[in-house]
Amino acid sequence: MRSKPPKVIVYLANIPLNILLYATLIIPFALMIYLAFLSWNPAAGVDWWQAPFAGLNNFSRALQDSRFLAALGRTTAFVIIVVSIEFVLGLVLAYFMIEEFKGKKISLSLIIYPLMLPWVVVALIFYLFFQDYGPMNNIFLKIILGDAAQNIHWFLSSTTAFISLVIADIWQWTPFIFLIMYSGLSAVSKRLIEAAQVLGASTRTIFWKIQLPLIRPLVLIAVVLRALEAFKVFDIAYVMTGGGPGTSTETLSLYIYRVAIEYHDISYAAALSLIVLVILAIIIRTFIWYSFERGVRT
Amino acid sequence: MSEKTESKISRRRFISASIGAGILGIVVGAAGAWLLKPEVVAEKTVTTTFTREVTKTVTATAPVTVTTTPVGIDMVAQRAINGVRDLLAKGVAKPGDTIRILHVAGSRANLEKAIELWSEYVPEIKVELITLGQEPDVYTKAMSEAVTKAGTFDAVTIFSTWLGDIVESGLARPIDDFFSKYDPGYTGDIAPIEPLASYTTLYKGKRYALVFDSDVFTLSYRRDLLTDPKLKDQFKSEYGIELKLPDTWEELIKMAEFFTKLNLTAPSGGKVWGAYFYAEPRFAAYITWLNIFIEAGGILFDLKTMDPKIDTSEGRYAFDVMLRLKPYMPPEAVTASWADLYDKFVKGETVFTAAWPSLSKEAHRPTALVKDVAGSAVLPGVEVNIGGVKKVVRAAPNPVNWVAVISNYAKNPELTYLFFQFATSPDIGKDVILTGVILDLFRRCWFTDPKYRPAFEEGYGSEFVDAYMKSLEISFPDLLIRGGPEYLGKLTVNVNAVMAGTKDPEDALSETAADWDSITKKYGVDSQLEAWKALANLFPADVKEAWKAKGYM
Repeated sequence: MRSKPPKVIVYLANIPLNILLYATLIIPFALMIYLAFLSWNPAAGVDWWQAPFAGLNNFSRALQDSRFLAALGRTTAFVIIVVSIEFVLGLVLAYFMIEEFKGKKISLSLIIYPLMLPWVVVALIFYLFFQDYGPMNNIFLKIILGDAAQNIHWFLSSTTAFISLVIADIWQWTPFIFLIMYSGLSAVSKRLIEAAQVLGASTRTIFWKIQLPLIRPLVLIAVVLRALEAFKVFDIAYVMTGGGPGTSTETLSLYIYRVAIEYHDISYAAALSLIVLVILAIIIRTFIWYSFERGVRT
Repeated sequence: MSEKTESKISRRRFISASIGAGILGIVVGAAGAWLLKPEVVAEKTVTTTFTREVTKTVTATAPVTVTTTPVGIDMVAQRAINGVRDLLAKGVAKPGDTIRILHVAGSRANLEKAIELWSEYVPEIKVELITLGQEPDVYTKAMSEAVTKAGTFDAVTIFSTWLGDIVESGLARPIDDFFSKYDPGYTGDIAPIEPLASYTTLYKGKRYALVFDSDVFTLSYRRDLLTDPKLKDQFKSEYGIELKLPDTWEELIKMAEFFTKLNLTAPSGGKVWGAYFYAEPRFAAYITWLNIFIEAGGILFDLKTMDPKIDTSEGRYAFDVMLRLKPYMPPEAVTASWADLYDKFVKGETVFTAAWPSLSKEAHRPTALVKDVAGSAVLPGVEVNIGGVKKVVRAAPNPVNWVAVISNYAKNPELTYLFFQFATSPDIGKDVILTGVILDLFRRCWFTDPKYRPAFEEGYGSEFVDAYMKSLEISFPDLLIRGGPEYLGKLTVNVNAVMAGTKDPEDALSETAADWDSITKKYGVDSQLEAWKALANLFPADVKEAWKAKGYM
């Protein structure tokens, strides 16, 4: 049996990782918290360590900032809509794909394909897709509406612009949910399903009473991960609508980017980021407690 | 027991090793910081080199001190080359020194041309380009440099819109001393055209930049449609006025309506729209609004209090014009990116449009469907009552505009300045401008001197060169005060919202005014007022006359 290495070696071996962790995560994070309580603007010609202390001003300003609150509401709505649809689509696709059929490998590759594309590429594709002269109007809607399809200007109305973002996100991220659901459903023991069939359970009963409960942890992980990602949505809003018309499709990330980079109001952007972080942490923690820990205690 | 002892020893060793490593780290870090500290290094190098080089010059190398006048280039470029030679002779610069320039990818071809020409005269001094893909990246990197003061570049080409921020952040070095010493040709017939030369380079009365570009808007139009005899007759019978280049926005609206209702087919096969003026969401929406607002005699801020003055009759009029034009513009004017306007005009799908000079370049390319029929003119104006007399005030926006700024943290600011004096001189600048796409002409001699003009006529078309010179003379700046991009960003968002129909003009104006007020207070009213007053003085004469008539000035 091999002896354990001396503890000093273990400590020393951990030092690089600790340095990396502190340098890349903890120090910048601490700096962000610190900046959120200052009033620092690089364009003011003052270094950040000389910036005046602002107390809670940035946070109280955020609570009165209608553009921030609107972006928060809009992003939340976006997350609820896209995650719900992506989950249903991903699960349905996975359910049908666990069966063996000819061309399954190619179908799997095609389904996963959008996930491989960079966000900005997807955004550009859908930006062109929803142009007045793009395929959405000229091919898909033309079949249904005829020439009237030409009169649909996707980025001119708040509602259609928002819908276009939702469609782009669903196209790219449904495969993510699909992959997780597919791996979960594939791992469910066939003997269990066969036993249920022998006992006369219907396909619907097998799905709701056996397969879905067994993959429940995976469902929760998929939904949490996807919701976290969707909450950070930036690329598609930036490229496709620029947050417009006006600010009607401006997401949280896009607004914070503008505050920090375009308006270089770094302290305020730090405060907004902290608020978002706290909101997300509360939601995720509650979700984890409700889904995992509550069950364990009972 | 033995385990405990071993554990104690290990911990002790660990602590000793950690402390040792910590001390070593601090020593290495301190040594590194001392060695890399920019100011100290620069000071030391300059002093040492100076002494050594002077000795060398006296004892052995006489040619180094002799400044031979370069042949075949104008005096501005010659002074720059001679300046470099002097710096080399004095040891302030050394052969092999490198000037590093941060710039956007679009100007790479221009700068590479400048470097190629520079190396013919001073091969000893290298120039290195740090190229960034997008315009906002340049702003971000420049502001990062202002914070870190790392000296990662010696000069940066920026949008003049950012000048207030770049200066106030401490990044831009004042260059009045270099102007006096080397004379970059800002007077007389070769000077960059005013007021553009002043408003893009001065901040609170001090010079911080060299003009490297001009970005004044002109009106581009389909000459074939505007001069068609049948259409002229038809228009006159319907509207009672001549179909010609519009003098005012009111006339342009009528013409745009007329052409849109004709349902003409463009050379591309698409529909012909009467007009296309920016109302897009990303950054260009403000340009159209601002142009009409300024021509109507609007002033952005009160010259005494710095209160926003956009929620006024002039602001409402600007929206009124844009909304009346909207039915005659393609919907993409509100939704697409800025490049869509170029695409539609080059395909012949719009009759009237306005954009940067590069639109004329694009329209005259062999592949452009309008290459033989694209015309250029000064933008239409607004009729204003000045002292009881109605006068059409015409102005032209100059959105963005690249200028060259020397960094306060440059290793050798003087040498860096001389490169840009060389690159923007009449002879060299002509070749630099005509090489790439995004930089455009700004010196008067390029428009008027037969030595230069044919080259620009070939690139832009002769009608454009005339129209552009007039436009430069009536051009007005972006909001070149601290927070300029932020002010304009808020305006853009609201202009776009009004044009998309999601916001009422009254709300848009009052919200923008409130936002502007907050921005002003954030930066300090007094400081902003000082910058605004200095900038307002550089607006074209007709605009200032309208301001005076309205009691704004």
